[in-house]
Amino acid sequence: MTAIAAKPAAGSAINTTAMVVGVVLLIILLGIAYVVSPGLGLMALIGVIIGGVLIGFGVHFVPVGGAPAAMGQAPGIATGVAMLAAGAGLAGLFGGAWAADQGLVIAVITGGVGGGMMMAITCMMVNFVYVFGMGIPAASGKVAKDPITGDTQPEYKSQGTEGHGLPFVSFVGGVIGGVLGGAGGTLIYLELLGLYKATLPTVMNASAAQVLPIAISVAGTFAIGMFLVNAVLTAYNITGTIEGPHDPKFKRWPRAIVASAVASALCGLVAILIVTI
Amino acid sequence: MTVKVEVIEGGVPHPKILVAGLVCTLVCLYLSYLNVYTNTAYFSFFGGLAVIAALIWGSNTIKVLCSYGIGTGVPSAGMIAFGSGVIAMLLATKFGIAAPIVALVLAAVIGLILGYLANDVLNMKIPVMIQSLTELAVVGALTLMGFAVLITGSFTFTGLTTGSVTLFGALSMPSYQVSFIGGGLTAVAFLLGAIAIQHPFNACLGPGWKQDRMLMLTAECGFLSMIVAAVMSFALIGTGAAIISLVIALAGWLYTYCEYIKLSKRDAYAWLDSKPIPDVEGH
Repeated sequence: MTAIAAKPAAGSAINTTAMVVGVVLLIILLGIAYVVSPGLGLMALIGVIIGGVLIGFGVHFVPVGGAPAAMGQAPGIATGVAMLAAGAGLAGLFGGAWAADQGLVIAVITGGVGGGMMMAITCMMVNFVYVFGMGIPAASGKVAKDPITGDTQPEYKSQGTEGHGLPFVSFVGGVIGGVLGGAGGTLIYLELLGLYKATLPTVMNASAAQVLPIAISVAGTFAIGMFLVNAVLTAYNITGTIEGPHDPKFKRWPRAIVASAVASALCGLVAILIVTI
Repeated sequence: MTVKVEVIEGGVPHPKILVAGLVCTLVCLYLSYLNVYTNTAYFSFFGGLAVIAALIWGSNTIKVLCSYGIGTGVPSAGMIAFGSGVIAMLLATKFGIAAPIVALVLAAVIGLILGYLANDVLNMKIPVMIQSLTELAVVGALTLMGFAVLITGSFTFTGLTTGSVTLFGALSMPSYQVSFIGGGLTAVAFLLGAIAIQHPFNACLGPGWKQDRMLMLTAECGFLSMIVAAVMSFALIGTGAAIISLVIALAGWLYTYCEYIKLSKRDAYAWLDSKPIPDVEGH
């Protein structure tokens, strides 16, 4: 069988059996975490799962245009989901890591603001380039009216394209996605950092101040790794391009929630095992 | 919308590359254990060679996966490979001498579950998805372990987290900050590997794709990353050992670069040997 004959048939259908298997896997992974580390580890894992789900859900909001957008033939930002999500998430993660000493809530909000600002700046500059550089107006190809402003779209859409530029709803979606992604990435980082700060001194036989660089570095590395895993899985869910929350592909999010939860639980469990075995 | 990439048959079959890449990587990683027996760091460069072997295997896996048009761009495959690989690799370092084997098994399990999630829960329905994500996770984990060996000379958790700072030229103090993990070098190694694995197929895909040209580009990218890693290793292993790594990386890069240019000229319809900065006439 050649690959040409077997095109990917990813649709919006939900594979119920696989979803159930996913949920069972999630419960098994939580059970393992409960066995190896009932208190601290399990709480950290739950935080990691919430963070992962926030990332997976948030990526759906981000207007990803891919290669067609670079040629002005589809709306969105002209790069792949993985790159955009990594950019927004890591900007948020760095923002949140700065505020890690100020408590969970402030740090997570700071992370969200960091991710949202990154996306807001990106979206604005993208529109700037589209409108003043390429000379094309913003028009959605998926809806007749912008759900937020009510502006009509088809008049501005060029023939033969799926729309172009970044309509207002996509801009708002991008910012929401950045906020959710940044907050999720920061939450993963903070949960792991708290766990490592508490357990690494006994594991490595050193004082808390000595192991701090290790705790920060390992938590940060795991957070980046988990962020990329969740972002790419979500990218697979939306198969490439999405316009924002008004896109029909947005309705696929339940699948991504299950996949992100299981993937985060799996990676989080491994991250917890590093200090418990 | 999915990007359609034509499948071109030919070249060495994938299973052969898989086995060769896996064996070479593991052998190179274990050869670096000579460091412990001889109590030096001169064998750290085997880590770099393990990186090259793993990258060549991973690059071909990316080709197999991305031929199906996953619609998210080739770089996403490299990102998920290293995202899942780094997690497996960090835990595996806790197992001492068994670390490469544990990294292999652990990454395979993580990749298998991620592959199932992508293929069935997310309904991708790509026949090679599960196998490819499993392979990519293993490649990611072993590549990072190779970089760790190249930079620190060790693949154990203690070796990667403990360094030493010298005060006043004589007094040596243990420090966790001057180390592969504590110094944040994991993140650098992560992206050095991720760029090297995702670039070759992205650069060579298309109707004129040739396997040997793509794999030569992979080796070139790998040696290029190895040069950077070898420079970083000056901070953590002895100067002599770091120079050996650097010389091997430079020689490997020069060789693969020249070979890649030759292969590119072979596959090109026509080429014009222009100079980077043209001579200005009349001066």
